[in-house]
Amino acid sequence: MSGDAVDLTLRGQAAALAAGEADAGELLDATLARIESRNPAINAVVETFPERSREMLAAAPAGPLRGVPVVIKDEWPLPWRAQRFGAAQMVATRDPVPAESGPYRALRDAGAVIVGVGNMHELGAGSTGNVSVYGPAHNPWDTERCPGGSSSGPAAAVAARLVAGAVGADGVGSIRYPAAYCGLTGLKPTFGRSAMAGHHMDGISTTIVSGPLCADAADSRLLASVLFGEELAGGDAAGLRIGIVRDSVTDDVADPVRDACEEAIRALIEATGGSLIEVDLPDLEAAALATVLIANSEGMAGLSPSRLNSLDPELSPIGRGLLKYRMLLPAAATVKAHQVRTLMRRRLAAIYSDVDVLAWPTVPAVAPPLQAPLVALPSGTQTADQVNVRGAALANLTGVPAISVPVGFEGGLPIALQLQAAWGRDELLLDAAEALERANERRWVEAIPPLAETAEPSGA
Amino acid sequence: MEAGARADDLIPAGLASFGIVADEVDLAVMAAAHAMFWPPILALLELDPGDLAPEPFADLSAPPPPA
Repeated sequence: MSGDAVDLTLRGQAAALAAGEADAGELLDATLARIESRNPAINAVVETFPERSREMLAAAPAGPLRGVPVVIKDEWPLPWRAQRFGAAQMVATRDPVPAESGPYRALRDAGAVIVGVGNMHELGAGSTGNVSVYGPAHNPWDTERCPGGSSSGPAAAVAARLVAGAVGADGVGSIRYPAAYCGLTGLKPTFGRSAMAGHHMDGISTTIVSGPLCADAADSRLLASVLFGEELAGGDAAGLRIGIVRDSVTDDVADPVRDACEEAIRALIEATGGSLIEVDLPDLEAAALATVLIANSEGMAGLSPSRLNSLDPELSPIGRGLLKYRMLLPAAATVKAHQVRTLMRRRLAAIYSDVDVLAWPTVPAVAPPLQAPLVALPSGTQTADQVNVRGAALANLTGVPAISVPVGFEGGLPIALQLQAAWGRDELLLDAAEALERANERRWVEAIPPLAETAEPSGA
Repeated sequence: MEAGARADDLIPAGLASFGIVADEVDLAVMAAAHAMFWPPILALLELDPGDLAPEPFADLSAPPPPA
């Protein structure tokens, strides 16, 4: 059973271990063997530490994830390893050191076993995952394609079924982009609700949260409950009021993405006995820019001219140039960005009195090539980074939760719908995602990339 | 002089004022970032939020209090 257990869902692994139907030591060995065999093709896991993992297992308490292997993004320190942030140099306010981060403690206290560190886009500064000090992670659905970023490795690891769950971080869409590109369910929690202690931007960032990347909503609920430190109760999303907007986030989208998302919204309405409400939400482009400006300005806390003149030569040219460009951004624009934040928070508060969720595509096109991350949209060919932010940033700017769920495929690559809800309604997003899974008979969440087809998942 | 042209001067002038050294590759990356960010930044600076009441010390985990 334990060899097969590596292909179970996260909750399936937890249940099998709790019932004594699988052996945690054998599952750990099988997972490490799986990483060794499959990871070279995708570069999702940048470091394993079998002895540390075995120590975690030996000390694991009887929590909800006792003995379950997970991957954690290279954004969080571990007691035996400082985070590298996907970069040769972090340029943070404090130098990274090994430490017990909040997500580490949450996982440890739940009995989970951290088996590896997930790759990420250098400095968290990209939606594609194509730049990293470790070399890029690859999308398991097509290894020539971007996995999404910045939580590229955690997403690729789960999509390739190296592990059933991974912890990422989302400052400007960094859980939802890779969830979308890799066909996973990724939750960006309400700001402040998930474990954040020990992050190098904790207390500075007003956009970053930790969150789960899993195959489906039930697994995301389980891992999010661990990260939140509270059980996220399930509901049925009955009578779901779905808000849609007419804006670039819905209009400047590749046709297959628009078609799949519209079909998913129709299915969700039917499944929940819900309704569709068109809402007015102007200035989304300004909101996206405001988010980037606020995140960039907060990330500047560790910058100085002298540090910029002594950057590690192993930083990527893009990373070096962007760090220097940040110094030139006008403070007036950041002040205006905070006004936009207030404006959008007030607008959302009003909108969420009339709708339960807002829905639009997570990203406007499927995963672009790693070598040239460009996407073709009705407005023309653009960089993925430039257009991805339009749909993702609002949740980071305002603090509301958002979830990316798989809703189809185009050319063998996943398509995703994003749902957003009011502050603290993370549970509703998981309920809605589960309703959508039932409506499409779990077709998309159970799809497996060819690279991972050596065994079928089971154990829901 | 158009705003775009003035903006093109911003990179070398800004780097010089901070004493930041940049090579050709740095400058090329910065120019690309500038082309992407500067036009919407100019638009953002012109955005009129009207009589928007500020939300001091916003609690991002919760909705804003009534204005």
